[in-house]
Parts: sequence; structure tokens; C-alpha cells
Amino acid sequence: MSTFLDISGVDMVFPTPKGAFTALKDVNLKINQGEFVSLIGHSGCGKSTVLNIVAGLYQASSGGVILKNTEVKVPGPERAVVFQNHSLLPWLSAYQNVELAVKQVFAGKMNKIEMKQWIEHNLQLVHMDHAMHKRPGEISGGMKQRVGIARALAMQPEVLLMDEPFGALDALTRAHMQDSLMEIQSQLNNTVIMITHDVDEAVLLSDKIVMMTNGPEATVGDILSVELERPRNRLALAQDTEYNRLRSEVLKFLYEKQRKVEPLPQTKQVNKMQDMSRQKINKVVTINNG
Amino acid sequence: MNSLTSMTHNRLMERGWMARVMVKMAELSKVILLPFIGIAIFLSVWTVTANSIETSLGQFPGPVAVVTQFENLYQEHVNEREKAQAFFERQETRNAARLAKDPSYEAKIRGYTGKETFWDQIVTSLVTVMSGFILAAVIAIPLGIWMGLSRSLQAAINPIIQIFKPVSPLAWLPLVTMVVSAVYVSPDPIVSKSFINSMLTVTLCSVWPMIINTAIGVSSIDSDLINVSKVLRLSAITHVQKIVLPASIPMIFTGMRLSLGVAWMVLIAAEMLAQNPGLGKFVWDEFQNGSSDSLARIMAAVVVIGFIGFLLDRGILALQRWVSWDQ
Amino acid sequence: MGNFHQWGINMTWATSITQQMTKPLILGITIGTSLCIASANAEIGYPEKEELKFGFIKLTDMAPIAVAYEKGYFEEEGLYVTIEAQANWKVLLDGVIDGRLDGAHMLAGQPIAATIGYGTQAHIITPFSMDLNGNAITVSNDVWAKMKPNIAKQADGKPVHPITADSLKPVVEEFNAAGKPFNMGMVFPVSTHNYELRYWLAAGGIHPGFYAPHKGDTSGQIDAQALLSVTPPPQMPSTLEAGTIYGYCVGEPWNQQAVFKGIGVPVVTDYEIWKNNPEKVFGITAQFAEKYPNTTIRLTRALIRAAKWLDDNNNANRPEAVKILSQPNYVGADYDVIANSMTGTFEYEKGDKRAVPDFNVFFRHNATYPYYSDAIWYLTQMRRWGQIEQDQSDDWYKDVAAKVYRPDLYAKAAQSLIDDKLIPASAFPDFSTESGFKAPQTHFIDNLVYDGNQPNAYINSFTIGLKQGDKL
Repeated sequence: MSTFLDISGVDMVFPTPKGAFTALKDVNLKINQGEFVSLIGHSGCGKSTVLNIVAGLYQASSGGVILKNTEVKVPGPERAVVFQNHSLLPWLSAYQNVELAVKQVFAGKMNKIEMKQWIEHNLQLVHMDHAMHKRPGEISGGMKQRVGIARALAMQPEVLLMDEPFGALDALTRAHMQDSLMEIQSQLNNTVIMITHDVDEAVLLSDKIVMMTNGPEATVGDILSVELERPRNRLALAQDTEYNRLRSEVLKFLYEKQRKVEPLPQTKQVNKMQDMSRQKINKVVTINNG
Repeated sequence: MNSLTSMTHNRLMERGWMARVMVKMAELSKVILLPFIGIAIFLSVWTVTANSIETSLGQFPGPVAVVTQFENLYQEHVNEREKAQAFFERQETRNAARLAKDPSYEAKIRGYTGKETFWDQIVTSLVTVMSGFILAAVIAIPLGIWMGLSRSLQAAINPIIQIFKPVSPLAWLPLVTMVVSAVYVSPDPIVSKSFINSMLTVTLCSVWPMIINTAIGVSSIDSDLINVSKVLRLSAITHVQKIVLPASIPMIFTGMRLSLGVAWMVLIAAEMLAQNPGLGKFVWDEFQNGSSDSLARIMAAVVVIGFIGFLLDRGILALQRWVSWDQ
Repeated sequence: MGNFHQWGINMTWATSITQQMTKPLILGITIGTSLCIASANAEIGYPEKEELKFGFIKLTDMAPIAVAYEKGYFEEEGLYVTIEAQANWKVLLDGVIDGRLDGAHMLAGQPIAATIGYGTQAHIITPFSMDLNGNAITVSNDVWAKMKPNIAKQADGKPVHPITADSLKPVVEEFNAAGKPFNMGMVFPVSTHNYELRYWLAAGGIHPGFYAPHKGDTSGQIDAQALLSVTPPPQMPSTLEAGTIYGYCVGEPWNQQAVFKGIGVPVVTDYEIWKNNPEKVFGITAQFAEKYPNTTIRLTRALIRAAKWLDDNNNANRPEAVKILSQPNYVGADYDVIANSMTGTFEYEKGDKRAVPDFNVFFRHNATYPYYSDAIWYLTQMRRWGQIEQDQSDDWYKDVAAKVYRPDLYAKAAQSLIDDKLIPASAFPDFSTESGFKAPQTHFIDNLVYDGNQPNAYINSFTIGLKQGDKL
């Protein structure tokens, strides 16, 4: 049996005004169906780039991604993304945001009533059924992220891609969200790739932790299997030796093996981002002035 | 004792009431009193200045003269309507007389041939400006969206827009006039050429801010929202409908407000220059008449033009509130 | 201005019509006489086109159109007429040519110039002459102050009239010596005002300049001592006030307006330059007259009645007419300003108000009859100042006149009014004998005699101006 999701030999080179910048070099990763995989690494190491390539939002410079024997070329709902900053459409209510996805994915497969039930079901799953007619502007950050997850789940994706889904949340809310996510995962058993900065989060949620080396030319440094029993309880695990071992493995990787030697090793990447945003601003200004 | 407390209580209540009244008064004074004072000062400065300016058509009109002309203009309007009534009655009698003689005659009622009153001209101007503006919007918004979506189209069209945007209506008008009279040839036109001329001039001048702002609005949509659309594989139409349009509504409306302001200014200039019916023509005719009332009548038109410009802007703002999600 | 050039082409066209036209002229006159007899009992049919739009320029001599509307004469003919002020003479003429207007109050020279292709080419005809006289020449206060010492005084200290341009000559020479252009305004290159101003200046020895359209020069300023340029009538006073021009020739109320505003002084009326000179005409396209014959006759009837009303009972209706004209949609100037000239007086220098009963003639002296000799006078002036750059035969002048001026249409309308007992036959020329040529006219400011039958001889009689054989 071939691998469910196979990332093989992926390179990613960005053109910049100062020449080509190799963000990823020879990234290889195999993920089985139903596996929960965390990508962890220092910021700027290209985690998001990997995720975006799997999502189809970026095209790998070489190598590629195969999902269920099919090469990934363009984005699609079977690889639903939960974005870091929720990315809900601010003019639509929580319900309508999910509805947009459901209508798109299940057009012709569900009737109106089924769609309604499915939307409500997914919002229930993330405990948002009480506020489903509120707009993003009217709910808290955690709630927005829940809706974002509901929208992704509602697409019934083959792989759920989560880009630091809880990064912008406060610690308490984040803990709640992690618990919710585990609960959902126990029910649906999705294949998940999640990017995180947070060592505890990675260990708590994952079946596999993929640790990435620092960029440029970032790649997979080590893969750690997490074989803690589910359901997992954060309080109980705090005393668990295996948990603590895994935790310290990750920390060792991050702070010993891949310690940031340069004060700003990712300047190029940052520059690139700044360049891009500057270009955008310039463009706007040109139109405006002209 | 009891009465004392109740008295104190009452006094306190009173004081509370007084305080509330004071707050209300302060609020009211901001909304009503200050603008009122502003207008009062303006009117008195106007009166004093007007009294000291002597033109060859007599003294510059002060507020009183202008109000008098408003009354006159209204009276003329009423009189003209009465004349119109009589005109239609005469016509019917004449038609009946002819029908009696000539049964094959197809009697018809012809439009009133008398002059357009000030109020008619206001309506004409409003209809013209709205037609020109709506035509501009119909062209500009789709084009702006397209430009916002396609960098190459934007690169191709942007220079053209930048060149045409600052062109004055006075430069367009002769071209529009000649082209319209060459192209719009019909023995029995539905709308007059002068209307088309004014309308197209308005369109040509007001289309640019809308294109530009729409394009900016569209091209600066949050890239995450675009990614959402990509992940959902929204079709181009759904993408525009569900993501692009709502996201760029605020910028589109900014463009529309700018454009409508331009459109109204341009229309008045175009009507003046081309003698096309409307408020601009009213001003020009009065200037040419050079009667002793002319300046006051022009001033009355100025007040109306300004007020309508203000109302149009408010109208767009209200429409924006009604349409957009963030206000 | 690009229109003023194709003289070569138009000349070929003009020569070709010369050959064709001799017959129509004779025919025209015979038709003129025979038609009225034929139509004696023939009722005029219903108008083919009932909704009409007429253009005018804000001048008191548009009165027949306003009166025909306000007194219901148009409606009585079954015509529903909208009257619309035009920005300037060019816009007005273009409006008639392109059909935006069905007819208009025109300068007498306009239909003639359009028909021979000077300026915009189009066959315009006139069945109705709108008035006699009505123009004046106004100079700025400064110029007047310089002219005044050169003018003889009456016993009461007021200047002797008519004031000739002799008194202006030293002023113009002073300007020329100082290298300053002496600018004056007139309303249109083929306007009565242009020819009258030129006539007055030339009679006083001031050269107003030649046109040379065949060389592309349509400024009319070749060899000029006084430089004439076009300004729309209603803008004359403000242009004078602004100092762009030092004087102008225009119709009323724009001379009286200068007196009221205190910015200038009218020095001479066109009545004094050429007594009872033809002024405006009502112009329609030849095509219109052909396509809508009944409409043409009917609108002529309405205009004749309006003109008669304006002159009836020794100008008794003039105050009412002034009231109509002072409406903002017609002339729109103050009642007093319009009344100053329309009610038989004319104010020159402030306070110097003199009786000029014939300053505005709308009907008497056969003012509405389109005389061929009037058209020919304009043609002679066009030739004199170079707008017609080549010699033409006397017959050519007559042919062109017959092509443009249509007394036959007038006679038909007038006859039907006589038949309807609306106007007595005595109010009109005797159509059975009328040739369309006035007897040789005297009363010119330079005492020359004009005989419409001999245009070339007339052209040769001027001191300043192109003569037979001259070519720029």
C-alpha cells in the first residue's frame, strides 16, 4: 500500500531582488491516513511554506506532493486550510462562512436541508452553535478560530492543514481549543498537518512531530513518534515521564541542535516578505497618485 | 423628618434632572446652535460684503435679494404650470375642431412648448447627472474589478487612466458634441442630443475616480481571503461575487463619492458651455440677460447647486451604509 | 474656422449654378406673381410638421418670434413651437443646418453666405425678413472722451448727429501710432453689424481690413486700421468693460445696456448709417421648405401677423412687447433697458435721449418682405471686403439673391392672410407688380446711392474696398 500523503524531494526557491533564495531543500515526509502530524521549528524555517505547498497555494520548485496517488498541483477543498488568523469573510456570519464552503463542496450532493444540518453540525462540533449568526467582528478571537476550524471540517477534507491555528490566542483559550481539537479528532480521526511553535501543543496533540532545521535550505531535521495513549489529559500528562521525555527531545532539537546561531538568521526571508508588502503598497500608491 | 428627606430627595432629583437637561442642552448646542451661529455669521458677512460690492449690474445680491428671487422663481414656476394647463386645454379644443373637420386625423397631445422653469432645470440636471454617473459606474466598477484582479490589465490601462483623469470637461465637450451629432442620428430621437452630450461628458469625467478606487480596493484584498477562495475553488464569478465585491465595497464607495462630486461639478460646467438644459444653462442665461435681477438669480442657483451637491454626497453615504457590511 | 477655406471648390460650384440660375430667377419672380393669384382661393393645408423648434439670439429683433408664440399666432396655425436661445450665431446656424433647429432668427448675411458656401455650406432660404434697423455702434467712455472734441455741437451743446467716423479717425491714428491695436467687436463675419461697422468706419476714412479666404485668411484684418473680431451679442458689454475691445456694433438691448451700466456711449445707429436697412431674417433650410410646404407658409403667416402686431397703431403694442422680451427666456434684460430703444427713442450719451421712431421697424415700410435688392447689398459688401474674392457678374448677384430670398413664399402667406381678412392687402406690396428690387436707395451716411440692379457699379463707387478687377 502506498503512502497516504507523500512529500518527496521538495525544494522551494523564491526569486528575490538579491537573487534566488532557497527556503526549502529536499523535504521528505510520509504521512499515513488518520495521522496527526505537527511541524515544529523556529520561525522562518519554512514550515508555512511546506504547508502551503501541500495546500497547493505554492508550487514546489522541484519535487512534489502526492495525495492518495494523485499529484497536488492546485488548491482544493480536499486539503482544507485553517489559517493562522482565521480568515473568515468579515461580511458573512459564522453560519454563512461555513455555508459558503459547504455549498461549494457539496453542491449537487446535498439538498438544502442536509446542508443546513451539516453546517449546524460542524458549528456544534466546535461549540459555536450558540453564536452562528454573529459576524466575525462580533465574536472573540478564539471563537473566530473555532469557526475557521468548523469551515475546514465542513469540507470533509482528506487532509486538514492548520497553520499555527492557535498562535494568536491567549494561553487559556489556546488550552481550550487544543482540548476541543483533540475531542473532534477522536471523533473524526482526520489526517492533520499542524504547524506550531509550541512544544507542549505539539506533544499533546500529535502522533508525529516533524522537527525542521533552520533556513535557508530548511529541511526535515528529525521525526519524533508520540505514542502516548489517547484520550490524553494535559494535567495527567504533566507528570508523565514519556511525555516529559518527548518534550525535552523536542526542546533539545530546537535549542541545542538547531539553536539560532545568528541573531537574525531569517533576515532574507523577512526581507523578502517586506519587499513583497512594499511592492503591494507601491502599487497602491502608484494608482492613487497618478 | 419625612418631609425633609423627601424635600432633599426632590431637590436632588431636581438637580439630577437639571444636570441631565444641561447635558442635553450642551449636546443640542453642538448639533444645532453652533451651525446656526456659523450660518448667522456667514449671512451677516455676506450681507455686509454684498452691500459694498457695486457691479455694473447693480449691487451684489445679499441674502434678502436671493430669498426674494427664490420666491420669484417659485412664482414663475407656478405661473408656467398654469400656462401649460391652458396650453393643453387649447390643444384639446384645437384637436377636437380638427377631428370634426378631418376625421382621419390622429389627434395627439404634444408636449408643452413653454420655457423650462428653475425647478424643471433642477430636475433636468439631476436626471442628467444621475444618468451620466450610473453609466460611469456601470463601466467603471466592472473595469476596476477586472483591473484589480489582473495585474497585466492594470499595467496596460493605468497610463491611459492617468492621462485622461485630469482632462477638464470643457475639453471633452466639443469632441462629445461632434461625435454625438455624427453618430446619434435619428429622425425621432427618444432623448435629445443635448442630454446625451451632457450625460457623456459627465460620464467621461466621472468614470476615472471610480475605476481607480475600485481597482485599488480589489487589488488590496487580504491575501488570506484570496487563499480561502482558492482552497474552496470558487469560480471566477463566485469569487468576484462573494469575496471581491464585498471586500472592496468601501473603496468602491469612496470612488463613487469622489465621482459623483466630480460629475455634479462637470455637469454644471458642461451645461453652461454647451447651452444644454439644466442649472448650468440657467446660470449662463441669467449672466447673458444681464438684468438687474440676474446676479441674485445666479446666487440662488449657486445655493441650490451647492445644496444638491451636498445632498448627492449624503445620498451616496446613505447608500453605502445600507449596502456595506462594515458600517 | 476651417470652414472658411474651400473657396476654390465652392467657386466651381457657384459658377455652375450661375448657368442654372438665370432661369430659376425669372421663374422665381413669375412664380412669385403667379402663385399669389393661383392661391387666392386655395386653402393652405394642415402643417406637415407640427412640433417645431426655433432658435434665436438674445436681441430685441427676435421679437416677431416671441410675439408669434405669446400671442398664440403659431398655435393658430397648428404649430407647436419651442423657442430656444442660442449661444452664438455659429451655433445657431449649425443648429438649423443639422436639423436640431427647424428655423431661426438669423443675420441677413447668414443664409446668403451659407448658400454661396462662405463659412458653413448649406442651402438656407428666407421667406420672411424680420425687421429694419435696430443696431448701433457703441464706443468705450475713454474713446468717446477723445472723439467728442472732434464733433460739432448743436445749440443745446449736444453733438450734431449723425456722428461720422471722421471724429474717430484721429483716435484710431493715435492708437496706431502708439503701436496699439484698435480692437472693435462685431457679432459674426457675415453679420449686418460687421458690414455696418465697416461701412461707417470706411466712410470716415478708417480701413477696417480685408478678408482673403482663398489664402486662408478669414480674420478680415488685412490692411486694417481698426481690427474687428467676433464677440457674441450678449457678451459685448462685458467685453467692452473688460477692455478687450474699444467699441462694438451690435443690436439692442446691448447698446442701451452699455449706457445703463455706464461703460460706453452709443455714437451712431444703423438707421443713420443706412436708413431703413434690412436687418435679421428668418432662416430655414431649402430642404425644410420643400419637405414641409404648408408648415413653411404657416410659420410665415404667424411671423407676418406678429410683425404687424409689433408695429400696429403706431407702436402702441410696444410696451407689451417689451414686457414679453424682458422675460428671462427671451432677451431677459431689464424692462427699462429694452424699452429705451423699442418704444421709439434711443439714448446716446447718458441723458442724450433722442426720438428715433423708426429705430426698430418690424412691419411698416414692407419690412417683412424679402427683397432681392437687400440680399444683393449684402453680397456687394461681401465682395467689397474680400469675402467674395473674385469678380462676379451682375447676374450672379441676382441669381444668388433669388436662390436665398423667397418672396414667392412670402406672397403666398400674405395672400392667404389677405384672403382670411386678417390683414388688408394695402399693408403689403402689390404682389402683381412687385419686382423684388427697391428703387435706388439714397440715405446712406456717405451719400452714395445703391441700386440693387447694378451691384458691380455700386461696388466700384466706394473709396475704400475692393473694386471690380481687384484681387488680394
